[in-house]
Amino acid sequence: MFENATKQLRETVEAALPELNTVVGWRAGYDPLHMTPVFIKNAGDLSKLEWSPFCVQNLSGYLVKDPAVRAQDPSKKIGICVKGCDSRSLVALIQEKFIERNQIHVFGIPCRGTVDWRRVMKLGPLTGIQSARVEESRLVVEDANGGHTFALEDVLARKCLRCAHPNPVIHDVLIGEPVTPRVAVENSYGEVERMEEQSLEDRLGFWKKELDKCLRCYACRNACPLCVCQDRCIAETREPRWLTQRVGTSEKFLFHFIHALHLAGRCTECGECERACPMEIPVTLIKEKLNKITLELMSYEAGMDPEAVPPLLTFNPGETGL
Amino acid sequence: MSGKAFIPRDSLGAALDRLSKKIEVWVPAMSEEGRWGVEFLPYRPGMRPVLDRQSTLSPKRVVFPQMETLLRFEYIKDPDDPAKVKFRLDDGQEVKPQFVFGARPCDVRGFFTFDRVFTEGPFVDGYYRNRRASTLFATLVCGEGDAACFCSSVGSGPADQAGSDLWVTPVDGGYVVEALSERGREYVALLGDAPSELQEAAARKVQEEAAQQQVGDPDLVKSAPSFRGRFEDLDYWRSMVSQCLGCGVCTYVCPTCYCFTITDEGKDLKGERLRSWDSCMFAQYTSEASGHNPRPTKLERYRNRVGHKFSYFPEKYDGMIACCGCGRCIRSCPVSIDIRKVVQELKEKANACA
Amino acid sequence: MSGSNSVPVTEQGMKIVGFLCNWCSYGGADTAGVCRFKQPTDLRIIRIPCTGRMDPLFAAKSLIYGADGVLVSGCHPRDCHYAVGNLYARRRLEVLKHFLPFMGIDPRRFHYTWVSASEGQLWQRVVTDFSEQIHQLGPNPGIGAESEIFEKLGN
Repeated sequence: MFENATKQLRETVEAALPELNTVVGWRAGYDPLHMTPVFIKNAGDLSKLEWSPFCVQNLSGYLVKDPAVRAQDPSKKIGICVKGCDSRSLVALIQEKFIERNQIHVFGIPCRGTVDWRRVMKLGPLTGIQSARVEESRLVVEDANGGHTFALEDVLARKCLRCAHPNPVIHDVLIGEPVTPRVAVENSYGEVERMEEQSLEDRLGFWKKELDKCLRCYACRNACPLCVCQDRCIAETREPRWLTQRVGTSEKFLFHFIHALHLAGRCTECGECERACPMEIPVTLIKEKLNKITLELMSYEAGMDPEAVPPLLTFNPGETGL
Repeated sequence: MSGKAFIPRDSLGAALDRLSKKIEVWVPAMSEEGRWGVEFLPYRPGMRPVLDRQSTLSPKRVVFPQMETLLRFEYIKDPDDPAKVKFRLDDGQEVKPQFVFGARPCDVRGFFTFDRVFTEGPFVDGYYRNRRASTLFATLVCGEGDAACFCSSVGSGPADQAGSDLWVTPVDGGYVVEALSERGREYVALLGDAPSELQEAAARKVQEEAAQQQVGDPDLVKSAPSFRGRFEDLDYWRSMVSQCLGCGVCTYVCPTCYCFTITDEGKDLKGERLRSWDSCMFAQYTSEASGHNPRPTKLERYRNRVGHKFSYFPEKYDGMIACCGCGRCIRSCPVSIDIRKVVQELKEKANACA
Repeated sequence: MSGSNSVPVTEQGMKIVGFLCNWCSYGGADTAGVCRFKQPTDLRIIRIPCTGRMDPLFAAKSLIYGADGVLVSGCHPRDCHYAVGNLYARRRLEVLKHFLPFMGIDPRRFHYTWVSASEGQLWQRVVTDFSEQIHQLGPNPGIGAESEIFEKLGN
């Protein structure tokens, strides 16, 4: 099912390649459940390029994080492959003037959801995985013990199950047909709503339990395409000094407040923070709440319109009710 | 005392209950019921150890905690003479005997890297040495390797006994435990009755099969000496690790990464000196007071990570590779960078150039 | 603050951190003082150049580490000394107010308002009402062990 899409992607990229300096895409990783980013520079590398529901990584961060992918030849553009969610990160980066729209060539791929390998392994048990493929609404994995079939719903990433924007919001070329969103934006905050129904004490208990597992390895921050302060993050600066090296829960709370509040009204819910977390803390949920707030208070959805200004970087003098 | 015991699968909890009355026990357990991640946690009755897959975090923290207090200090002002200040210092360390149950050969081997640096001079780290000396390991014969495992490549293997006090072999219906050290022998009887001959034979079979397994490419480390020649080949490093996010997860899950930072944290007249895990993947790790950073981007940092494990460390410590082949850095990497590939191609491409 | 149990909770001193804009509310608090309006003593004032400088993390950190309340006060909207600082602040602080309860922190411990330099009486009412509210809520346990460590170190 995805062989055709991969073929089409390779052909489309090949056609555009002479005008491009580098194309950022995905290639096979260390096992069939994993893909890894690849930087295509010439036609010889094209056979590496892949598209499948295992292409989980959001590649837009590579355009801004040092050493960022830059065109050696300024007359050429950088090509980048994006899913629906990834394209919204691109929009956010364009809004904040980290990249210019006319310097990138976007290969947009409508996406039916990506596979969370940890959910697969949990349903397993799998040993010696030989192949993995998605067919319609099933994931079929072959391992040393034969074939295993999983319902796609059971192995998709959490962000994909609540995806309202599976189609890239910006693209120069679209690979494949647009797909129908699973939910409308207004209905995509079910998990946040379930949290809101709990008592204050229960919510505090939930976050204490979850965030207590945090290692403060900061992988969530470093994987985030919009955490653009990079090596100058206030979580690590000695002056001002926001955090100590202690490993208690309050330090962890404050770190996640720093991460989340700096993304308020900017986060595009691509879920990279949650995916990168080795402890599987649902850290994207924190940002989902902030997005729900900005949606309700300011009718703003991040990463949709390259011309829009994120709500906390502007104001409306006449607004009342705040 | 036969030095051997059999723990029926459904009595594992009871055996650990008995053990944990004598000594603090750490077991691999799910950090949250229903998720995939496993970490080493202090055993409490009722906890279900996860022994059928490798833990996400290594047991590094049992001996080398993520944060430890090196000393506490306090300034005491003399109320009669404000100019006179007394200084009180407390560098006592509380170390309890502890038992890690359910580590894997790679996990235990990880501590060998620490031992060389922290206990074999010229400077001995007392904090590490004390905790290391009071920690015992019950190690599983490993049967659950996956595509990221490469313990045989670095001189270990699924049946490696090195560094273990007890050897735990999963067989049908339970676990056969054997003492490998005198210290370990003391605890064997606590865990269960002596195994039957049949069970012993089954265990031997599992051990033999594991010993024959070749996990990973045995020639991997032969590429390591090519690192020096590759050092300045930035194109190589760019081609291998451009996708690195610099997230640092690899160093946090790694059983051999021992880099740390020391900070004084205090308020008013009291405080403490902390040692906590640091990561060579972070800019601040090498940031100098002048503002200069000799490893300004993730390329230099990743190169250092590979170089340290496969080149600098073996050059300094009689050829010992500072990697235990557990594959955690590969599995936990959000962009699936494969350190084996980076090491292997050091040589392949060098050959191609020559 | 050893938390002696012999004193009823409502009688204990509370730690309320007040972030006041230099150009208005700070002056308002001064006016209230000059006029000798009776005010509760729980408030520790931090002067900021404008509510536009008010990082929501200042409030978040205070509450995480066990401050009993956080009060932010600045110039009335459209009256900012720097024209628009408080208009940015209004959005940020409103978002924070909605966000705190999601993480399990009582939003009643956080309040933001507008008081000008001449409104001594209004200031008296704002600070009295807020500290009454905090006294009703009682001490903030904070999030984790650190707040205790700091308490211990502080003694």
